[in-house]
Amino acid sequence: MFFQQLLNGLTTGAAYALIALGYTMIYGILGLINFAQGEIYMAGAFVAVLLLATGQVNFFLAFLAGMAAAALVGVALERVAFRPLRGSHPLVPLISAIGASIFLQSLALLLFGPNDRPFPVQFDFSTITVAGLPLSTLQGAILAAALGFMALLVVFVRYTRYGKAIVACALDRDTARLMGINVDRMVTLTFFIGSALSGAAGIMMAIYYNATYPRMGLLPGLKAFSAAILGGVGNIPGAILGGLLLGVAESLGAAYVSSGFKDATAFAILILVLLIRPQGILRGRGD
Amino acid sequence: MLTLKSVQSGYGRAPVLKGISLHVRPGEVVTLIGANGAGKTTALSTISGLLPARKGAIEFAGQDLTRMRPERIVTLGLALVPEGRRVFRTLSVTANLELGAFYRQDKKQVRRDLEELRARFPILKERARQAAGTLSGGEQQILAIGRALMARPKLLMLDEPSMGLAPQMVTRVYDILRDLKKSGTTILLVEQNARAALKVADRGYVLETGRIILDGAAAELQEDPEVQRAYLGKGYREVWE
Amino acid sequence: MTAYLLHLAVLSGIYVILAVSLNLIIGYAGQVSLGHAAFFGIGGYTSALVSLHFGFPFPLAVLSALVVAGTCGLGLGLPTLRLKEDYLAIVTLGFGVIVDLVFLNLEITGGPDGLVNIPLPRLGGVVFRPQGLYIVLVLLTLLLILGLTYSLVRSYHGRALRAIRDHETTAQVMGINTPAYKIMIFTLAAAVAGVAGSLYAHYITFINPESFGLHTSILLLCMVVLGGMGSIAGSVVGAVILAVLPEMLRQFKDYQDLLYGALLVGLLILRPQGLMGRGKLSLKFITKKE
Ligand SMILES: Nc1ncnc2c1ncn2[C@@H]1O[C@H](COP(=O)(O)OP(=O)(O)O)[C@@H](O)[C@H]1O
Ligand SMILES: [Mg+2]
Repeated sequence: MFFQQLLNGLTTGAAYALIALGYTMIYGILGLINFAQGEIYMAGAFVAVLLLATGQVNFFLAFLAGMAAAALVGVALERVAFRPLRGSHPLVPLISAIGASIFLQSLALLLFGPNDRPFPVQFDFSTITVAGLPLSTLQGAILAAALGFMALLVVFVRYTRYGKAIVACALDRDTARLMGINVDRMVTLTFFIGSALSGAAGIMMAIYYNATYPRMGLLPGLKAFSAAILGGVGNIPGAILGGLLLGVAESLGAAYVSSGFKDATAFAILILVLLIRPQGILRGRGD
Repeated sequence: MLTLKSVQSGYGRAPVLKGISLHVRPGEVVTLIGANGAGKTTALSTISGLLPARKGAIEFAGQDLTRMRPERIVTLGLALVPEGRRVFRTLSVTANLELGAFYRQDKKQVRRDLEELRARFPILKERARQAAGTLSGGEQQILAIGRALMARPKLLMLDEPSMGLAPQMVTRVYDILRDLKKSGTTILLVEQNARAALKVADRGYVLETGRIILDGAAAELQEDPEVQRAYLGKGYREVWE
Repeated sequence: MTAYLLHLAVLSGIYVILAVSLNLIIGYAGQVSLGHAAFFGIGGYTSALVSLHFGFPFPLAVLSALVVAGTCGLGLGLPTLRLKEDYLAIVTLGFGVIVDLVFLNLEITGGPDGLVNIPLPRLGGVVFRPQGLYIVLVLLTLLLILGLTYSLVRSYHGRALRAIRDHETTAQVMGINTPAYKIMIFTLAAAVAGVAGSLYAHYITFINPESFGLHTSILLLCMVVLGGMGSIAGSVVGAVILAVLPEMLRQFKDYQDLLYGALLVGLLILRPQGLMGRGKLSLKFITKKE
């Protein structure tokens, strides 16, 4: 029972972590909160589900297409809702992201209707026993894929030329420009990658809950936002840790404390942690 | 090689630079000295494109820089070692150096340059994997210079490289500048520390509240009574001795 | 038709009160709150509960709403106002979500069904009915609050608040007690939102958690930013526009929210400082280099 709850928590936590990576990277480079990150998650899920529903597209292709679509939505969002507002009060882009999020949600509502869509492909997932503990292969697959994406991101940021350039822009924009780094291009790249990861999370959760709907991104988005802050905003390992931690806490809290307050767990933990450690668990950017 | 003609620039309404003209010829070491707040950093920011020039012309290697973005300007061969070093603190020493060569396409040559630089400054090899922020001030300054050199600049600009360093580190940094000069690097050196700067420089300009009030050969400036009083602190010493 | 216009006017009035109170926090104390609707809800539920269970007369119910919402504001503000902006945004947002779930899960608040049969306000022999005098009650409260707000921001305290917003460290050096001011303003704004909640509850006569959720907090924030942070007139305009806009967009039926979102983004791109905000023109805009 406990192990099952832990595993449930890690699975949803992995999704929070993937979205939180998007928040944290974008915050790192622009100092802005992209409130529409949850809608990007939703967009990824919808595109994959629609493609699969045609019956013509293979699963991996649909998965990639969903991620790509999410990435493009993210890039477009930056162009329309953030770039024209550079240099204004930080609340202004926040509100414009909220506007974009309302827009995307209602667009999805118009195009796809309010009802849950089941995932079009049925997988033959079973429960296997590992070291005496039951493990659902679906959860195992989701966890493995999510950890794989995180590892890829970490390798990209640490070891590639563009990864390091993104970090440089986040640390010191002007000096990065002096190196010949085009900051706008790095911002676009950051949105591309962060949004692709959120899209992947959306598809995974669409499989996990067997439901895709226009408002599916709202709560995961907000919780991931908490996870990013919990981990120290701008801090990549922190976002991963924060996401997994919140997922587990939420799952255990719902099982052992109260299921009615499940959605409050993430925020309650965040508030408590911030009161004790205002900079988050790990340190954020610039410290 | 670099020519500024009546350049005005600044941050708010009133310009900080009220029309300055200067030039640097190939192979020269030129220094721009002035008190704190005179506008030296503003001048370098304007040349490197971080700040727009409001009036006047900036020309480098036959190209007009006034409306060019900084990320383009560096590709023409103009590199800046910024004030306060500004190394990328959480990135490794090697990553900092690689970013210095970000715009370059000649990957093989970049690798060779990196090896050469490490041979020249062993500290950059010893600390290769360490985060730049963990280095001492002097080591960071060497890293910042190395990073700029990785861009293979035709003109190297430095903003107060001796600022905040211990005396022996200042000597070390200036030894490096002398070496660079010997190897033919063209340098524009901004300093508050006029004594050190005028020793390496061929020529110098004196900036005061956004205007160039004096210029000439470094040796002449060292002898100039006004410079001695205001920037070399000679007057005080005579009183003391 | 008149009844409908009257209804819009009452709702706009309530939103104006809420937006003006939130603007005190954002525009004058330089803090962000993404959970302002929680205080609106706390006021609404308090007022409804004391009327239903203890038979409090309307003025006492409003007072209870004011005190309880203000106390909650103080309780949230005391520990959190030292956090930096972005963190405060998520903490207040989280507070809003938690309060919403409390309304949803407690027995006394009626769960998802909420509370019904909330009495209409009476003063002396006069009953303030939705189609009648209610608008007068709202407008009087609104004027009172606007008057108080104006005198506050014009006073010595208002100048201190602006100093804190514009340059916190300088304000501290000047001897202004920054934390005390921030907490005071946060508490005050929460109390005013509580009054708005009371006005809302006794107008609609039935309330449930839906009216006080995250989307309301966000709507309020949009009103303030759209109108112009730090401009009280701006908050009035922003609140009326965003309260009335959905009604005007209603003719577009399904496209209503879509247009709403697009308009919000568009307006901000055209006027990043808000409709009535003076704000600095962004420097980057002028000095942009190609
Ligand atoms: N980012 C800035 N914004 C506004 N004013 C600035 C900024 N940087 C420098 N200044 C002002 O410009 C003037 C020149 O500064 P600076 O170029 O840094 O001088 P220096 O490098 O010679 O010490 C100073 O009066 C300073 O206050
Ligand atoms: Mg300077």
